[in-house]
Amino acid sequence: MNDTARSKPAAMAPSAPTRASIPVVRKHHVLVRLSHAWHVPLLLGLIVTGLAIYWAAPVFRHAPTAANPRGDYLADAGIALASVFGTQGNPSNWLYERVSLGPSHLARALRLHWLFAYLYMVCGAVYALGLLRGGGWRALLPRASDPAEALAMIRFYLGVIPHAIARRPWPHPPIAGKYNALQRGAYFTMPLVGLLAVLSGWAMHHPATLPWLERAFVNYDGARVVHFACMLVLGGFMIPHVILVAADGWDTFRAMVTGWSLRVRGTRHGG
Amino acid sequence: MAAERKRPPVNRPSPGEWLRRVASAAAERPEETFDAQPQWLTARSRRDFLLLGAGALATATIGWWLLPDRTKRLWLPGAHDRLDSLAARVGLTREQRERQLERVLTFDDDVAEVLYSKGRAVRTYDRPDPRPLRNNYHGRTPGPEHVVGWRLNLSGLASGRAESLGLETLMSRFARHDMNTRLVCVEGWSHVAAWGGLRFADLIAAFPPSPGARWAALRSEVSLDGRGQREPYYVSIDLETARHPQTLLATHHAGAPLTLAHGAPLRLLAPMKLGLKNIKALTNIAYTAAEPADYWNERGYSKYDGI
Repeated sequence: MNDTARSKPAAMAPSAPTRASIPVVRKHHVLVRLSHAWHVPLLLGLIVTGLAIYWAAPVFRHAPTAANPRGDYLADAGIALASVFGTQGNPSNWLYERVSLGPSHLARALRLHWLFAYLYMVCGAVYALGLLRGGGWRALLPRASDPAEALAMIRFYLGVIPHAIARRPWPHPPIAGKYNALQRGAYFTMPLVGLLAVLSGWAMHHPATLPWLERAFVNYDGARVVHFACMLVLGGFMIPHVILVAADGWDTFRAMVTGWSLRVRGTRHGG
Repeated sequence: MAAERKRPPVNRPSPGEWLRRVASAAAERPEETFDAQPQWLTARSRRDFLLLGAGALATATIGWWLLPDRTKRLWLPGAHDRLDSLAARVGLTREQRERQLERVLTFDDDVAEVLYSKGRAVRTYDRPDPRPLRNNYHGRTPGPEHVVGWRLNLSGLASGRAESLGLETLMSRFARHDMNTRLVCVEGWSHVAAWGGLRFADLIAAFPPSPGARWAALRSEVSLDGRGQREPYYVSIDLETARHPQTLLATHHAGAPLTLAHGAPLRLLAPMKLGLKNIKALTNIAYTAAEPADYWNERGYSKYDGI
């Protein structure tokens, strides 16, 4: 393949190859891209096995009823969904059978959860290393201009659809860096939530061996509540994340696979 | 110029200057661009997407292999048999899966053992949870018959003899210890409960295990299955855990003698282990050199179970 193109831009200029070169922006370090891809099946595996573990002893419960003797809110949700979509099995297991390994799979779910948990920690370490090696961490740090910029972005997002319907122009607010303030806030928070999920997981796994960690979450049940909340936040983040990347276009998605983007700021070659 | 003269001669940055340096080191750099030929970009892009696709395919195959059969049937009712035989063709059989998952479990147990230090005390609490402690016998709760004339049978002792001790002997011969500790179930629930009883360590000191013994095989002969048939329950406990000062052979719960639901007349209380190791209605202790069988380990759970 063309080896000169792989080297730095300065080396390219004097050689002046016959075919026209185009400017490309370096985006994501290879370790960031790899861990980003691994994260998808790992998080899915953790949620699927985690809910099968949760099934054995739900944290969030109300007083027992005839249809739901354990008072498990997720069983209530299953009953409601089963009444809409139908089921051949036990309606209170509807949700557990579809978004988890299923009821009565505790031993299997625990083993798989630990497998995915160890891989998740490795994945997180690789991600952190990629941020450090590629300098990407600088683009994620909060800054003083964030609140104002975040409000401008929210205003922009709220106006997108009305302006599209009215066929009026609705310019994107100017962005000073790699990410806008909302992205920066999310991309800065998510790794911390992942870390919190890992810490609360260890607090539950070894509350007697790591009592200081258990105390950091008040007690054993506190760690379970935090762990569950982390799952909701990480899972909930993925939905707008995927929608917004899809809305932003092919270049953004490709940048997370290949590491480069054709959207160069201040040139005509913008994507 | 005047400002420059005011600076101290030693080049020590002021806190403000230091903060500015940190801020500029952490400030986002301008985006880095390079020039590339479109052909090179296309080739690179093709390679990276092919790698992504291959990775996604491999991940989906492994994910399928790891799923329980019931979930596969539910998700892909028509095709699960064919997909299973495809996975088996690349070596992803059910036997392989169990072997690999066993290794995960062993790895996790090894990590737990490295983290654990035998001298560390388990957290104790000022008062137990007010709710009643749940009876989590997986089968039926044994009836009261066995309590009359109950004896604890010891074997694998240094003396070479088998010992049989009544409850009165155990309670009068050994000091009573009380503690409020958290019982953590593998299912995920936990309960701070008040326990009283003798230290396992005291029993071991009075009836030393044979030299070379590293394990205690604890057994309840009176345990029942779900239909009320006799089904002995057994756990393995390493002797270091047994000798921990917070490992009790409990005779009391919540200030009263153990009820049948909680393992009358004597149960193990090892708060550094999951509840499933805390065997109820204990009848036999055998000291062994090799690790003895463990009821729940035979059913897919960890055998270390240290929390």
